[in-house]
Parts: sequence; C-alpha cells; structure tokens
Amino acid sequence: MKRTIIAILGLLVIGAGLAPAQAQRPSDLTYPPLKYEPPSPRDFRIVYAGGLRAYVQPDKSLPLFNITAIVNCGDLYVPKDKTGLGTVLGDQLIKGGTTAKEGPAIEDRIDFLGGSLNFNVQDRTAMLTLSVLSKDLDEGLATFFDVLRNPAFREEPLKLAKARMIEQLRQVNDQPSTILSRAYDRLLYGDNAITWQPTKASYEGVTAADLKAYHAKYFTPRNVILAVSGDFDKAALKAKIEKLTAGWKGGAPAFPAIPKTFPNPEPGVYFVEKAINQGYISLGHLGIEDTNPDYYAVQVMNFILGGGSFTSRITTKVRSDEGLSYNQGSRFTYRWGLPGTFSGYVQTKSSTVGYAISLILNEFNRIRTAPVSDAEIETAVNFYLESFADSFQSSQTTMMSFANLEMTGKPMDYYKTYRAKIQAVTKARVQDVATKYIQPDKAVIVIVGDWEPCNKGGEKWAGPLDKLGRVHKVALTDPMTGQEIK
Amino acid sequence: MKKRILFLIAAVFVVAAFAAAADVTLDVKEHVLANGMKILMIPKPGVPRVVCHVYFKVGSINERPGITGSAHIHEHLMFKGTKVMGVTDDAADAKIDAQIDELMGQIYREKFWKTDGDQAKIAALQKQVDELAKAEKAFIIKDDLWTQYMKNGGTALNASTSQETTGYYVTLPSNKIELQMLMESDRMMNAVFREFYSEKDVIMEERRLSENRPGYFFGEQVNAAFYTASPYHWDVIGWMDDLRKVTKKDLTDFHKTYYVPNNAVAIYVGDFDPAAVVALAEKYFGRIPKGPDLEPIRDGEPPQYGEKRMYGEGPAPTSLQMMFHIPPAGDPDAQALSILASTLGSGGGGFRGGMGGGGGTGRLYKNLVRDKQVAVSASASSRPQWYVGAFQFSATPRLDKGVKPEDLEKEIWAEIEKVKKEGLTEEEIQKAKNRGEAMFIRSLGSTSGLASQVGRAELMRGWRSILTDLDALKKVGNDDIKRVAAKYFVKDNSLTAIYTRKGR
Repeated sequence: MKRTIIAILGLLVIGAGLAPAQAQRPSDLTYPPLKYEPPSPRDFRIVYAGGLRAYVQPDKSLPLFNITAIVNCGDLYVPKDKTGLGTVLGDQLIKGGTTAKEGPAIEDRIDFLGGSLNFNVQDRTAMLTLSVLSKDLDEGLATFFDVLRNPAFREEPLKLAKARMIEQLRQVNDQPSTILSRAYDRLLYGDNAITWQPTKASYEGVTAADLKAYHAKYFTPRNVILAVSGDFDKAALKAKIEKLTAGWKGGAPAFPAIPKTFPNPEPGVYFVEKAINQGYISLGHLGIEDTNPDYYAVQVMNFILGGGSFTSRITTKVRSDEGLSYNQGSRFTYRWGLPGTFSGYVQTKSSTVGYAISLILNEFNRIRTAPVSDAEIETAVNFYLESFADSFQSSQTTMMSFANLEMTGKPMDYYKTYRAKIQAVTKARVQDVATKYIQPDKAVIVIVGDWEPCNKGGEKWAGPLDKLGRVHKVALTDPMTGQEIK
Repeated sequence: MKKRILFLIAAVFVVAAFAAAADVTLDVKEHVLANGMKILMIPKPGVPRVVCHVYFKVGSINERPGITGSAHIHEHLMFKGTKVMGVTDDAADAKIDAQIDELMGQIYREKFWKTDGDQAKIAALQKQVDELAKAEKAFIIKDDLWTQYMKNGGTALNASTSQETTGYYVTLPSNKIELQMLMESDRMMNAVFREFYSEKDVIMEERRLSENRPGYFFGEQVNAAFYTASPYHWDVIGWMDDLRKVTKKDLTDFHKTYYVPNNAVAIYVGDFDPAAVVALAEKYFGRIPKGPDLEPIRDGEPPQYGEKRMYGEGPAPTSLQMMFHIPPAGDPDAQALSILASTLGSGGGGFRGGMGGGGGTGRLYKNLVRDKQVAVSASASSRPQWYVGAFQFSATPRLDKGVKPEDLEKEIWAEIEKVKKEGLTEEEIQKAKNRGEAMFIRSLGSTSGLASQVGRAELMRGWRSILTDLDALKKVGNDDIKRVAAKYFVKDNSLTAIYTRKGR
C-alpha cells in the first residue's frame, strides 16, 4: 500500500511539473521542441538471390507477419480488346488456384488461420498482400509465393468470375460519382488504356491463356519488389524467401508504350443526364506528374485553393459561407509516368449548380491573379511539415512507401528532402504555379444531373448553363456493349 | 488534510489494466476526473504522433420524432466556434446572432406553423436575416479550430455520428496534445452555434448525397419498417422535414443535456507519457462542471408477432434482403450469432467496390455463388448494437440466368433450416474463433482503429468488454449455434425486402 502511495505521489509531482498555466486560446500555448528524422530506405533494402528486391523491417510489437509483393503490371499494359483482363486477373490469381492447390483450398486454409490474402490490380502496379499470425509464417509464406509464382488459372473459376463481372456491369451507370469521373477522364485523356471500359465482349474475350501469358511476362523476380514487416528474424526470413524463390527466372519485361499525347477538349460544359436532385460537378483540365519539380509548390497552392479542407478557399466560400454543398474542393491527381488531372469539384442541389461553378471559377482566377496571404501559406506549409511523421506510423506502410518509391523510379531521398522542399515554397512560387497549372479558359465543366433544373439555375445565378461555355450533351454508354445509349 | 489527500489519490489514481488474450495484451491506462470524464491511454512509443479522440455517449437514438438528425447536426455545429474560438468580438457577434435567431423564429412560424404562411413577410424577414448574416461575417474567424489543428500538423481531423456515439478526432505531433485538450474542453463548455442556418443547408446537401445513391430511399424505409418502437427507426442523417424545421434551441438543449463530462471519454493512442496526459486532462477537461446523470434510452423493440415483407422498384440493382431481430451486444447469444454470420456470409460480397469482397469462404458464397451459380453475391452480417440487434442476409441474383430474389430467399431459408438441424461443422466454428482472435491481435496494431474501438466500448459496457466478448466467442459450441438459429431465424421475427431494378 505504501509503495502505491509513493508511486501516486511521484506521478503527481511529475504531473505538476508538466502542467502549464491555464491557456484560453491556442495562441497562449507553447510547445516543447520535437525533432523527427524519417527512416532511411537504405537501412531496410535487401536484394535476395535471383534479383528479387525487398524492404524489410522486423517489428516484434505484435505476433504478426505482413508481406506485400508489388508487381509492375496493370490495366495500362492490356490491349483494348482485352479490357478487363486486369480485373479478371485480380480475382483469379488466388481463386484460380495454383498448380498444386485449388483456389478454394487456398482461401479456406488462409481463412482458417485467421489470415488474409488479397490481390488487386491498378493502372501500373498490382499487389499481392498476405497477413498471418507469426506462428503461421512458414505456411503463409509458402502459400504466398506459390500464388505469386504458380497460378493455374483453372477454367471453372474463370468462367464463374467472368459471368459475375458481366452481371456487375449492370451497375456501372448507377452511381453519379462514377459516371462523372469516367466522363471527366474520357474528355481529358481521350481514347486510351486509361479510359477503356470493360464490356461483355471484352470480358468474354479474356482467356486462361491470356492470363497465363500476362502472368509469365510480368511476374518475374526483377519486376517485383517486396515490402515485409512483422515478428521474424531477418536472416531466417532471407533463407526462407530464397528457398521459396529458387529457380524463379525472368528479367525485366518489355513494357508496351503508353501514349503521352492527349486531346485538347473544347472548353465548355459537358452535361450527362441523370434523374437525381443534385448536380455532380468536376471542372478543370490535365495536371502534372508528381516528378515535376513544381510538385511541392503545387501541393501548397492546392491546399490553399481547395485541398486543405476547411482551411481552403473553395470550402470556405462554397460550403461555409453559402451552404451550397457538403463536399467540395480542388485536387491534383497523380499517375505514374503520366500527367494526372486538376479539378475543382462540388455536388450541389440542381438550382445552385451554376452558382457553385461560378464561385469555384472565381477562386481559380483569384489564386492566379493575387498573392495568397501570409496566414494562408503559413498554415499550408506548417501542415505538411508538422504532419510529416504520420507517413511512418506503421512499419508495413513505411516499407510499402519505400518499395513504391523504387518501383516508380522516384528519388530514394524523397522523404529525406521532402520537408526542405515544402519549406522553400514562397508566396511568389504559389502564384507562379497557380498561373502555370490552373487555366480556367481551358477548363471543361462536366456535370451529371437533371438538365432542366440545373440549366434553369436559381436566385443567385440564373441559367442557362451556356453562360459558362458551349453546352455539349454527353450520352451514357451501355455498359454491356460500350455503345452510346441513344 | 487527510481527506484532501484521499481525494487526490482518488482523482489521480491511474489504473494500469492488463488483460491477456492469446499471447498479447490490451493495456489501457485509465483515469477518471472528478467530474466523471474518463481518460483512457494506450502508449505506443515510437513515431512521435498521438491519436486523440473524444467520444460522447450520444447519437441518433437519443433523438425523438421532430428532432431527428440532431446528433449529427450538433456534431457539425461543434466546428462553428466557441466564446473564444472563431470570433473576434464575442459580445458583438452574440448580439447579431440573437437578432438572426429572433427573425428566423418568425420565419419558422410563418413557414412551418401555418399552412398558408405570408410569403411576402417571409421574404422581407429573410432579407433582414441576409443583411445581418453579412454583418456578422466581420466578427467570424472561419473554421478557426480546424485551422489551428491543421497548422499544427493535425491529420485525420474529423468527427462522426452514429446511432449510439459521436466522436471528434485528430492526430497530432506528440508535443501538441495540449492543443487538443484546450480546444476540445473549450468546445464542450463554450460552444456557440454560429451560422446555424447555413450549416443546416450543408446538412441537407449531405442528405441529398445519400438520396442520390441508388436504393437509398428504399433502404431507409426498410430500416424504418424493421424498427417500429426503438429509435434505430430513423437514419442518423434524420428525415428531411425535421432537418428543415429543427431550431437552434433544440440544438442548444441537446448540447446542454449530452455534452457533459460525465457522458464523455477521451482516449489517446501513441507516443506520450501518461502522467503528462493525466496532468493536462485534469487542467483542461477537469475544469468542466459535471452534468446531471443521464438516463439510458427507454424504447426497446417489441416482438413483431408477424412476418414483414416490403417490395420496391427503382434505379438500384435487383436484390434480396432478409433481416431478423437479435439481442444487443453483451447478450449471451451474441457470439454464437457472430459465428453464424462469419460462417454463412464471409467473403460473399461483390468485388470492384462492391459489397465487401473477400475470400469467398462462406457457405452462402460457396453454395449460391460458386456451386449453384444463382447469385452474383450472397452474404450475412450480425450487428448486435447497444440496445437492439439485427442479423441480415443480402443477395443479388444472376439475372442472366433468370434467377429472382424470391428464388434466393428460398435458398437462404434452406441454408437456415440446415443450420437449425445440424449446426455448423467443428472446423467452421474453429475457423470463426481463429478469425476473431486474429482480428483482435490485428486491431492492437492500429492506432486510430484501436482508439475508436476502445473509446466506444468504454461508453457502454466498458473497454474490457472487448476481451470478455473474445472469451465468450471461444466458448461457443455447436449446440449454441443450433439454439440461436432456431430462436431468431423465424418468419415472425423477420423482414424480407425485395427490390427490383426499374429503368436505367
């Protein structure tokens, strides 16, 4: 009992020592200094026999084992008549089984162990991810490499997957937000692997032979980077991985060329008809690549314009001042090796569609023509500097970030130099990049909504919508055929 | 003097509770302030960040007809400033705000109390309101709290409202926990609901976003039909008519009742010294006066005494939904029902952003999707909730094969009858237990997920319920499975909803 009291008194003293004076507002507070240096990718990088690269961090805090294989392959490497191959592969790499085991047996076993094994395919990367308790490391790891190396793409599960995917095409025009992003990308990127949509015929055209050929081409040790973390010994893991990857051959594949020229769509309004009570809107044009040296200034600029949530201009004006919307802002999206998009976005009731667009266009112009305030740039820069350590909260996420840097050919000192580059952004640089990368006169304004009330407008902004530029009606496509719906 | 020391000991007593599951422990340090507010801490040394969450034991189930949506509106209003935040001159602002409230009161009477309100009068009053709102802008510092958090490196900044709880979230650098303590305690004590009327417009837009999700209206009606007496009857967003008519006074009353320290839990997960957090909590949250005790909600759900069926048509996928009333969390039957949901429904969802995805190891997936090929997806879930629970089967038919929702309904009933008779296999039960345990271990590795799970659990059954539930899960046997299936999966306890796509 006495010991308890001493402990508690000790705590009180510590507490009293740390307790600052009662502050009333944030400006009254001062904070102890905090120094944080990010981990260095070099400390975690390993090249296993056969050229398989990995970022590995033992982490004994929990009895878990996590491993992800990032493969350089994806939807952009698929020919047009096979569109959807990536989705089918995403489903069938596991469900189609391996040469040794059927898919359901693999899934049942991983599930029985309380583990998870998932595979998904994106534009240019695909990821196979396993998580198991560390007591099941050996079995999990063997299954992981079996699936990665020896998928069998059996006919029966493939047939079922294609039938289900074709059935799900019926839902493609259900959500206004997906219709919008599809129409927006289509205008900006044109007829390109980025915008091709699977149809009944393209799904039906995907064969087990296609999947096998695709797998054989891209799933080679030199085209894969691993990210690994959890409760294991680094040397023991190396031995296990090298044993499981022995005899795995193949160099870096030849990748299909990805077109880099895109159409210049006519600025104006592009309207997709849908019977809903709001307009879903995106307005803008193509953006930049994240390897562009202006990337950091663009991040800060967009934070102020519409990326910094409630501290951004678009949210303040459109949501907070006017009550026009719940969700609004601006964003730069990024794609590996290709320009991303820039867009302002909002969803608002039909009668205020024109008004909300006009307010966003005003903000596009304002950030180009006048310097941002000291307070705005201070908030934006401090946000990026002070939140930096967030990226390294989990070992597995950190290993994934490093593996992705290497995969996409970014400088390995990206994190090390990140804060200095953000700190170097000035008000003048913000205005420079706003002028350079936001061009309202080139913007397409894509709207999904109910034409009559959207076009009519309301009290604060009366229609018609062609006040914003020539109106083009965009037809929905029949998801089964890919043909326009007349 | 002695009494004082005893009081201090009680007030500063930090309990380190260790509870073991498998080979790992959930270690939550607890501290209770004199005003009843609980402070929970899970230190995780390493990266210098701290997840800071505050949870209140209030959600849409604490509303009543006429003020539905209030818990969520209130959550929005908590970002609209306080006597010290978001304003340059509180007295001047308050004067204008009071005038706006007075005029809006008159507008509401014309609009909502009368069937033939004077439109000219409404327009004239609205004009005065617009002018005052414009004048008030001079005193308002927009989104002050949000900006303070952002410029100090706050991430995962958000708030959310559910049926049962409301949470306020931020993750900060570990040297800035005091900022959270200051601003969160300030808005508990000093909230001022500025820009109330334009914020209601924002929330109506939020509701419209839901309405434009195909099938939303039908789903809202299904839920309302399933719960008749209990306040789970309405969605968290509330009915549109109530959103229009709810008043600022409704919301200030709501605040006074529920936003008291004895109805709140603050939880910290990350790299910090618990003693320092306790000292700060005493200083900031400790200054808030205790409120009256709160009575739990009164309305349970009466027995249904008859099967319910609903049919709808519209722009969403053709589908089947079967719902059954089950007891709330903590009931001895809850874990057997959870194993049933896991075994029948696991991985039965769609893919490509569909309904869940996953491995496809559940019975419904294997039988209906893979072997008989009559469904695109088929899944089951068990939601115990705090006061009344629901078990749900969902399935979408293979239209290309001419399958109808009613056909899937028969298939699912056949599966149910089989379970009533035979239960599950030993392997299936063991699998569900393994999954439960692994999920628990994984949850310990997260920061915000752990804060959310532990913080919310504390409000109702205490955070240790996470561990006792896991123990209860491990004890479930096949007799329990057969018993609960027979008890709850009966037509008089069910609602079956059939939706058919119409048009494009």
